[in-house]
Amino acid sequence: MCCFCHIVPQKALKRLADDRSLSADQRKNFADTIKIDVELRKLRTQASKLTRVASMMAAPVAAAAVAPLPATPVFDCNHIQTLPGSQVINPGSSPDATARRAFAETTSVAAFYSQVFGRNSIDDAGMTLISSIHYGANYNNAFWNGSQMTYGDGDGSIFVDFTNANDVVGHELTHGVTQYSLQLNYTNEAGGLNESLSDCFGSMFRQWEAKHDVNQADWLIGKDIMGPAALQRGLTCLRDMANPAAKHCLAPQPTKFSQYKPGMDPHESSGIPNLAFYTIAKAVGGNSWDKVGQIWYKSMTGFGPTPAMKMKAFANRTRAVAAQLYPGNSAVAGAVNAGWKKVGL
Amino acid sequence: MGTLKIERIGGLAGFGVPGSKVKSRGEQAVSALSTADQASVEALFQNPNRQQGSGLERDAFRYRITRMVNGKNQTVEVPESAVPPALKACVSDKLT
Repeated sequence: MCCFCHIVPQKALKRLADDRSLSADQRKNFADTIKIDVELRKLRTQASKLTRVASMMAAPVAAAAVAPLPATPVFDCNHIQTLPGSQVINPGSSPDATARRAFAETTSVAAFYSQVFGRNSIDDAGMTLISSIHYGANYNNAFWNGSQMTYGDGDGSIFVDFTNANDVVGHELTHGVTQYSLQLNYTNEAGGLNESLSDCFGSMFRQWEAKHDVNQADWLIGKDIMGPAALQRGLTCLRDMANPAAKHCLAPQPTKFSQYKPGMDPHESSGIPNLAFYTIAKAVGGNSWDKVGQIWYKSMTGFGPTPAMKMKAFANRTRAVAAQLYPGNSAVAGAVNAGWKKVGL
Repeated sequence: MGTLKIERIGGLAGFGVPGSKVKSRGEQAVSALSTADQASVEALFQNPNRQQGSGLERDAFRYRITRMVNGKNQTVEVPESAVPPALKACVSDKLT
């Protein structure tokens, strides 16, 4: 993953570590920093290698055994920011509703990927799906850290418990799927695609759980984590795939590729492919995961890593995959083409 | 010693992106920080790339920290994991 892979000069740190005008504590801190830096670089290299090796091994392992759904342990951070926290025993029957939700929805996402796409966990090799809950105090976020999901409780005002939203759980786990397939960067166009894939599969998971077709679906991301202060302001979601620029979104997004600018935050530029996906799914009709979801899944997982993929390249890949999966189906091919054209791709 | 201006950005909700209606900001006097935290902050400014996590984090917060040096603003952007707790505690999330 290239976005943070810098060549780090250590001269400045070494100079500070040797600077007698600083206190002994400060000099020790800088010396420790140099050591940590070396170890972190080793860790980053190792994490990157591990991901690549695991993705190469995934198919043979999956083919060799019909695995049950992966384990989905839940850990409790008890409102501090240390991962993973202490393990929750029997999270499915825990008195803590957050633990029960994290367990149930993570298990359900695994079932969604297994039943709909034939994928065995996020690495397609049965990887254990770890969730940590009650992260930090009034923490307004959920994130994937490269090896596990983490959920805050929200501050109860702008946001409520992040496990409340099944699309958020699907979104975070899909970051793992992307990590083990396309391995998209998290900057520029690839970053926007990365975020969009998580929104698309998070929304599809929400629709699949509710048994909603494309007309019944709300296409909102994060609807169930919006707190009372946000709702009072008319902010009903983080993002709206059907109308990315809508005023009811906490962070409105661009809807045309012509609005894209290099360096845009991935949560902003993802509006472009999100709108394409929505438009295509609506045109094809039925359940989003039946046809369009299959096209997106194969485009994401069927071609190996492409970390710096451009949006245009992904759009063209979905056009090719649509023709491959549904030969002679001009309605699907036409919908895919028109959806991307609508956003300028 | 001056004041640090701190903004928490990114996250699943896209804090601080253009058009976003949620921002997270705060200020912290450097003199009120412990010696260890002051050294940590200095290390962030000297080498902001030293702690960039695994590079695989998604939806994680980042912090934009600004200080005034010789009349000029100096800004670094670092992952949440690199930020001393005292700095993290001084930002508050607000709808704009």
